[in-house]
Amino acid sequence: MAPPATAVADSLASPDRPRDSRANIDIMAPTKGVQWPYFLALGAAVLGVLQALIVLLYQTYVGLGVAGYQQPVFWGVYIVTFVFWIGIGHAGTLISAILFLFRAKWRNAVNRGAEALTVFAVITAALFPILHLGRIWKLYFLIPYPNQRALWVNFKSPLLWDVFAISTYASISIVFFYIGLIPDIAIARDRATGVKKAVYTVLALGWQGTGPQWKAHSRSVLHLSGLATPLVLSVHSVVSWDFAMSIVPGWHATIFAPYFVAGAVFGGFAMVVNIMIPVRRIFRLERYLTDYHFENMSRFILLTSTICGYAYAAEYFIAWYSGVEFEQSSFWLRAFGPYWLSTWCMITFNVIFPQLLWIKKLRTNLPFLFGLCFFINLGMWFERYVIIITSLSREYISGSWGLYVISPVELSILAGSFCWFSMWFLLFLKVFPVIAITEVKELEIHARDHGGAH
Amino acid sequence: MSELDRRDFLKLVGVGAGAAATACAEPVEKLVPYVEQPESITPGIAVWYASTCTECPAACGLHVRTREGRPVKLEGNPDHPINQGKLCARGQASLGRTYLPDRYAQPMIAGVNGALEASTWDDATARLGAKLESARGRTWILGGSVGPSLGGVIDEFAAAAGAQRMTYEPFAHEALRRGTEAVFGVASLPIFDPGKADLIVDLGSDFLSAGLSPTESARQYSDARNVNVHKSGGTRMISFGPRLNFTTTSADQWIPAKAGSESGIAFALANAVLAAKGAPEGADAAGIERFLSGANLSRAAKEADVSPGELAAVAEALLHAKNPLILPPGVAYTGSRATSTAAAVMLTNALLGAVGTSVAIPPAPAGPAPASLAELKNLIAAMKGGQVDVLLIHDSNPVYSLPAELGFAEALGSVDTVVSFASLRDETAESSSMVLPDHTPMESWGDSAPRPGIRSIVQPTVRPLLDTRALGDTLLELGRGLGGAMPEGPFRKVVENNWSDVNWRQALARGGVFTETAIAPVEISGDLSGLGAEAPSLKGNGDFTLVAFPHHFLADGRGAALPWLQEIPDPVTKLQWNSWVEMSFGTAEKLGVGFGDVVQVATAAGTLEASVFPRGGIRDDTIAIPIGQGHSIGRYASMEGEGEPGGWIKGPVGSEGQPGVPRGANVMAILPAAQDELGGRVWLGTRAAVAKTGRFRRLALAQWTDNQRGRELAQAASLAQLSGHGDDHGGGHGAHHNEPPHTFTAAYDADPDQPYRWGMAIDNDRCNGCSACVAACYVENNIPVVGETQSIQHRDMAWIRIERYVGDGDLEGGAARRPVPNREKLGELDVRYIPMPCQQCGAAPCEAVCPTLATYHNKEGLNGMVYNRCAGTRYCANNCVYKVRRFNYFDYGNENFPGLLGLMLNPDVTVRQQGVMEKCSFCVQRIEDARQPAKDEGRDIRDGEVQTACQQACPTHAITFGNLRDKTSKVVAASDHPERSYHLLQELNTRSAITYLAQVTRDENEGNH
Repeated sequence: MAPPATAVADSLASPDRPRDSRANIDIMAPTKGVQWPYFLALGAAVLGVLQALIVLLYQTYVGLGVAGYQQPVFWGVYIVTFVFWIGIGHAGTLISAILFLFRAKWRNAVNRGAEALTVFAVITAALFPILHLGRIWKLYFLIPYPNQRALWVNFKSPLLWDVFAISTYASISIVFFYIGLIPDIAIARDRATGVKKAVYTVLALGWQGTGPQWKAHSRSVLHLSGLATPLVLSVHSVVSWDFAMSIVPGWHATIFAPYFVAGAVFGGFAMVVNIMIPVRRIFRLERYLTDYHFENMSRFILLTSTICGYAYAAEYFIAWYSGVEFEQSSFWLRAFGPYWLSTWCMITFNVIFPQLLWIKKLRTNLPFLFGLCFFINLGMWFERYVIIITSLSREYISGSWGLYVISPVELSILAGSFCWFSMWFLLFLKVFPVIAITEVKELEIHARDHGGAH
Repeated sequence: MSELDRRDFLKLVGVGAGAAATACAEPVEKLVPYVEQPESITPGIAVWYASTCTECPAACGLHVRTREGRPVKLEGNPDHPINQGKLCARGQASLGRTYLPDRYAQPMIAGVNGALEASTWDDATARLGAKLESARGRTWILGGSVGPSLGGVIDEFAAAAGAQRMTYEPFAHEALRRGTEAVFGVASLPIFDPGKADLIVDLGSDFLSAGLSPTESARQYSDARNVNVHKSGGTRMISFGPRLNFTTTSADQWIPAKAGSESGIAFALANAVLAAKGAPEGADAAGIERFLSGANLSRAAKEADVSPGELAAVAEALLHAKNPLILPPGVAYTGSRATSTAAAVMLTNALLGAVGTSVAIPPAPAGPAPASLAELKNLIAAMKGGQVDVLLIHDSNPVYSLPAELGFAEALGSVDTVVSFASLRDETAESSSMVLPDHTPMESWGDSAPRPGIRSIVQPTVRPLLDTRALGDTLLELGRGLGGAMPEGPFRKVVENNWSDVNWRQALARGGVFTETAIAPVEISGDLSGLGAEAPSLKGNGDFTLVAFPHHFLADGRGAALPWLQEIPDPVTKLQWNSWVEMSFGTAEKLGVGFGDVVQVATAAGTLEASVFPRGGIRDDTIAIPIGQGHSIGRYASMEGEGEPGGWIKGPVGSEGQPGVPRGANVMAILPAAQDELGGRVWLGTRAAVAKTGRFRRLALAQWTDNQRGRELAQAASLAQLSGHGDDHGGGHGAHHNEPPHTFTAAYDADPDQPYRWGMAIDNDRCNGCSACVAACYVENNIPVVGETQSIQHRDMAWIRIERYVGDGDLEGGAARRPVPNREKLGELDVRYIPMPCQQCGAAPCEAVCPTLATYHNKEGLNGMVYNRCAGTRYCANNCVYKVRRFNYFDYGNENFPGLLGLMLNPDVTVRQQGVMEKCSFCVQRIEDARQPAKDEGRDIRDGEVQTACQQACPTHAITFGNLRDKTSKVVAASDHPERSYHLLQELNTRSAITYLAQVTRDENEGNH
């Protein structure tokens, strides 16, 4: 999957390509000035967050009974949404770290947006295991801290692994995001005035673009990439073990870690596409985010969709092949039980629709891609819904089966999570350049130096 | 409730501070020591009193556990010959009567607008005294059955006031009493001992649920079927009836005879037995022949819609059995020829020689027999005619329980003064002009003499909590005021004086006087004239016969006020909290309705609406509705307290409760006021038409399916398998338990350095599903009742539940959105009950996944649950394969014990906070209770010293608890039946500490000869 590094340079080398300063102007443009549609969007997002906050207070005060939980389904939309957001948070690190290590230069145009998406997705995801607790105020019980009562946590519990996996991932993502931002913050600093300049000055950490600084910077990025790469695989593996380590039919499967990682990359890329298409359109960044980027992401989506399809098939095959009735019934009822609609949505959106990407024309058809990725995101949410809800509702003791129905409270908090994410992303758009300017310039320089050779 | 109190405020602060975790959520309460230490009370040590249960006429003995002066748990009195230490669910829950929010706190007198207003005793008794003075000869006393001492006081009061006394019990078993009188000349209720029979033919008696002494019968029946003793399987039972009722599920054969055909069958069987055995010497042979004339098996079979061969085989079996017993129809099948039917049944028992072995006819009890419907009609006529000025009503709720057609409620309007002595609000009390609240049984003195040789005492175990007064004392005072010759002293003294023939203190300590009294044999010497084999008739039109059957817990409706009895699932249908209409799947399909669809049931006497519960175990021509719901008064009995917990902030608008709205429908309101040939009340007396309403009202159904999908959850073993010839019968009956997939020793799953590994053996063959264990667990462990709304969402908090499966199951179903148990088939019996407490696994899936170690394995092998450490991730509940964990979705611990109910909490068991997980602890508080004396004496806890609440309550001894490391313990012995023992879901290697013993399928052919 290593595309020619000159691809972006090619596009930049076209007759109307921007000059260096043009890149600065273009990419910094979105951060300049605000129009009412932006305020409208931000206002809506903030209102969405506020309503969810009020609902959350209500839920905390009254009890989790206002959510749709019932025996035997003790996890619901909150955990579904948690896994969904954690999954979304994968594309960023994958693009930044793994593709960096593979020297896939085309990533430079999308990595900033993807990294931001990662950070915001992770901080969104991290809310859910907290707000689904029966006693939120006892959250600190899950953290191993020395105390005079000698109470300790259970290191055998996958939920505890989650605590570490997510906090590690969140910190690495934030650091990675920030390190990458420093040169661009310096650009912003140089163009800003007043208070803004002061803030950018502090954040830029005295970046002057000197040779030693650049050397340190590129080495940090390299090392952080090395650190972050295993995390891409580990975080979602650990999250998958929340399920795989249990004894619940439909959860207890060794395929879960790779299956979840592939699903996460899949969903993450879909989300990147879903966000970058409007960003490119609204902020007129067509010069930097080209069809080529979207085609590459489409290929990733196609690959990971196929892996997901394989995992779905493998799950069903193993359930049948195991000869264990519990597993067989669980999967049979997944497809033909009360939640059949969710299951078929999942299969259709995640496996069948993306196969259209075999057609090259569609890979660069942005309206099509946007719609497809929207459905993929929906499908990925349904995937987690199917895994969690259907499995729990049909466990071993058939007399104790049940049915989970989403409550309005959960819907409101689910909507709030999207608003929360959007709020951060909107703020980000106005504060930092959405495309890594220095990295784009790097490509341009690369193109200038080697363009003729191509 | 909607006001913000300190606790709520702190909670909000805590919420606001979020993760800052101010830890202010728990309120601080101070322990206040006694100023003067009461002599008999040591804080922390329970004091036990012997008393008597007054929930039903069986009069089981009680041991009341009190803590710091409050009764907190009822257990059976082991010395009492009737229940021998056991207590049914109704008895367990009856403790709550003392603490219910429904109690009247003081006397009430109707104001100008008719509403009851608080008053004082002085005022109320003065007013009533004046009324009584002027109403001499025009006063009536109507009330339920009471003990001899109170009965005596009532009689004396009646004499003083010139009043007439009438006893009213909805389930008075008049037909059986009069039928017995017709055969033997003794007007008493027979005492059946199913344990002494080897073949029982049950004509719809439902004796294990709604019989004369269910707890006792359950023990006798299950002992007689103990396969460890009776290798051939013991007593067999053939059960007749149009629906699979509670007792039938424990039978060996079910003959789904038409409702109303019991009479014909009884006469046909009697005739067949007479033909074979002949009339006994000295009996009026001609009279008997005339009485039975016209009955024969083939006609009865045809009328009953059963195969003639099948019925003939039953007659054959009766004749061939060594100790056959035939049981008369119960309340549900009391038809217009009920007395004749009961007479035919008792005659058959006499002819078969059962009278004297499994049937005893005690002498007629002293005191008035319950009034028949005919007598009640006379009273109502007198009331309507203005001949009743004062009507005193005690221990009964006639406004609710009399057929609406009689117009009792309207007749009350013609009575000048209606006085109710109810301690709890009910329909009758609320339509009275004066309420003089009685103490609850836990606060009262009294006594009971259920049968010859057994006299037991009701003694108070708590000071009256409210400004109430014992009925006996009120009547004594009123009687004295009227110048009557009332006995000396308070009512307590009257009771004591009545027991002057025995050592009072000893009797008090023991709970009564229990002597073996032989019941004199009786002869067939009654007068059968006026009775005969005439077919019963049904009133009205409609496609269906309406069967109104006593609810297993609510009985005649008196259980409806007790929330536990509402919430514990009905053993047969697993429905909770509301009324339902049972109909066959065929009928439901024809009507175009399904589970939860509301239908209108119309009889000549009225209509009601209730949700449909389609099932396989009912005939197409029959619909059945439980008696007991449809109360319009009461926090739990009506919809008054229904809603989301906690008021406006806690749920949708308007969910505060709906006062005055009945919960379910009262089927008694649509039964015609029919009477049988001697004036007894008829319950099976009408046909009904059913119409779809197009509305849907979901029923709270505790169990999703009765299909165990071949998962061998509730296993069964044939008799052949028990005797080691399993190969022939292995196929359909869970043959796997002979070769467990993994063997393990549960006793190892504890710290090797200490002597205990607690474990349990549960004999499914002895379990009849009665749910006494569930009720005992609720009370012992402070388990909150969550209400109908929450029950519909499967949020009940039961720590032990009884799952009910039919057959081995198959892979059908499971995809339905609306759950419908559907495995029953007409005439087929393979109902399997399996009690499900926490299995206290040795390798517990719940423990591994808890991030905070809130649930952990303790040294003695128990899965401990530290509520304070629980953050509420609920992973343990997801990972529990037995689904025994329960989550506090709301602040049940605070909200769901309103008013005095908080006083009922067991101080040994933590009340759980909102947001934590809970589950069965094997009654760890009882283990700790036993540990201290053992420690003091420097020994280990002895076998049998710890009894879990469920084990203690179980009338059939299905549950055995103890130390698995003690090889001589009862639990080890009880588990040691390799031919039918299994661990639930053993293949998952959870190393469960509970050994189940498979239910035994007794080959029905063997039962017939």
